Amino acid sequence: MESEELFQYIASLEAAARPSEKPSDLPTIEVPPEHFLSLMQQLREDPRLYFNMLQVHTAVDWVKKGIFELLYQLYSTKDRQSLRVLVELPRENPVIASVCSIWRIAEWQEREVYDFFGVLYEGHPDLRRLFLEDDWKGFPMRKDYEDDFMLEPGQ
Amino acid sequence: MGLITEKLPKMMAGMPGSDIIFTRMDAVINWARANSLWPLTFGTSCCAIEMMMAPGASRHDLARFGAEVARPSPRQADMLILAGTIVKRMAPRLRTLYEQMPEPRYVIATGACTISGGPFIYHSYSTVRGADTIIPVDVYVPGCPPRPEGLLYGLLTLQKMIRSGETVREPGIRHKPVTSETPEGITIEDIKSEMLALLEKDAVVDVRKAAEQMERPTGI
Ligand code: SF4
Repeated sequence: MESEELFQYIASLEAAARPSEKPSDLPTIEVPPEHFLSLMQQLREDPRLYFNMLQVHTAVDWVKKGIFELLYQLYSTKDRQSLRVLVELPRENPVIASVCSIWRIAEWQEREVYDFFGVLYEGHPDLRRLFLEDDWKGFPMRKDYEDDFMLEPGQ
Repeated sequence: MGLITEKLPKMMAGMPGSDIIFTRMDAVINWARANSLWPLTFGTSCCAIEMMMAPGASRHDLARFGAEVARPSPRQADMLILAGTIVKRMAPRLRTLYEQMPEPRYVIATGACTISGGPFIYHSYSTVRGADTIIPVDVYVPGCPPRPEGLLYGLLTLQKMIRSGETVREPGIRHKPVTSETPEGITIEDIKSEMLALLEKDAVVDVRKAAEQMERPTGI
């Protein structure tokens, strides 16, 4: 499917999803958090789309704008089609629905994002830290993270 | 080996002539140790690629120096090539691996990361600043990453250190290679001027004088 066709088809499924203006190498859509889970469900199950693979899930901390931008990169092994889905969350209260029930692999990817950014996933079966020690305080990939171990130049 | 390196020194201590025997034995044992180093397969990031190039690839071929038998188990290895960034989470595991290696064990730290934290020294919540804060290091190989030749040179330095180093009388006590540190009271300028003087002295030849001093060949 061409990206225009893809965008139109997705918009017919979920009106809140719109093509992203941001420069990108892949077809990208943005969706508000309240419509996120139903959109993802349809992307996975719709026979014409059939995005059966969650390739990448990560987050970007836009600290000046006060948002986390979550990024999901989907792939359809049937059509060899990629799609990127962006969701913006407020930094103070980053809660989003988990997509574990749709793609099993999301379980670890969401744990990683929780580990480093502190994004909370509703409906995640086992939201623990993945890479850092269990007693780690704070979320080190947040741009405003600081601890006693870190050095500044000149120190 | 256990008999020679552990029991014998105690049995023979104080016997007349034992010093000579030990000195000979040390030379043989150290020669053997230096030429059959077994590295542990341990690589944590980009430097590991260079480390794999050096022993694994044909062009550089660590086998020439007897150190190519990379072992996946620390219990069979006696050289640890630290290749790559050490993070806080890795540090206790690294310490365990080091302690599981049999004595005598040697450590080469390659790359800026294992020497000091390297590129990750600032603003990093995770990188250990220098592997020598966790385990003792014998040879440092600078670079980011060092060229395989650098690693080979580090290995040769280690071999030199082993050959001149340990004695069975005092296991674990080693002579370290001397660091090229400027002695007290001497500045870089002094060294430069002295080197310049030496260079001039060696490089300038008074041809006439030399010719006069030369022995004339006879019979021409
Ligand atoms: S010293 Fe450089 S090449 Fe080696 S691990 Fe560190 S960053 Fe990578």
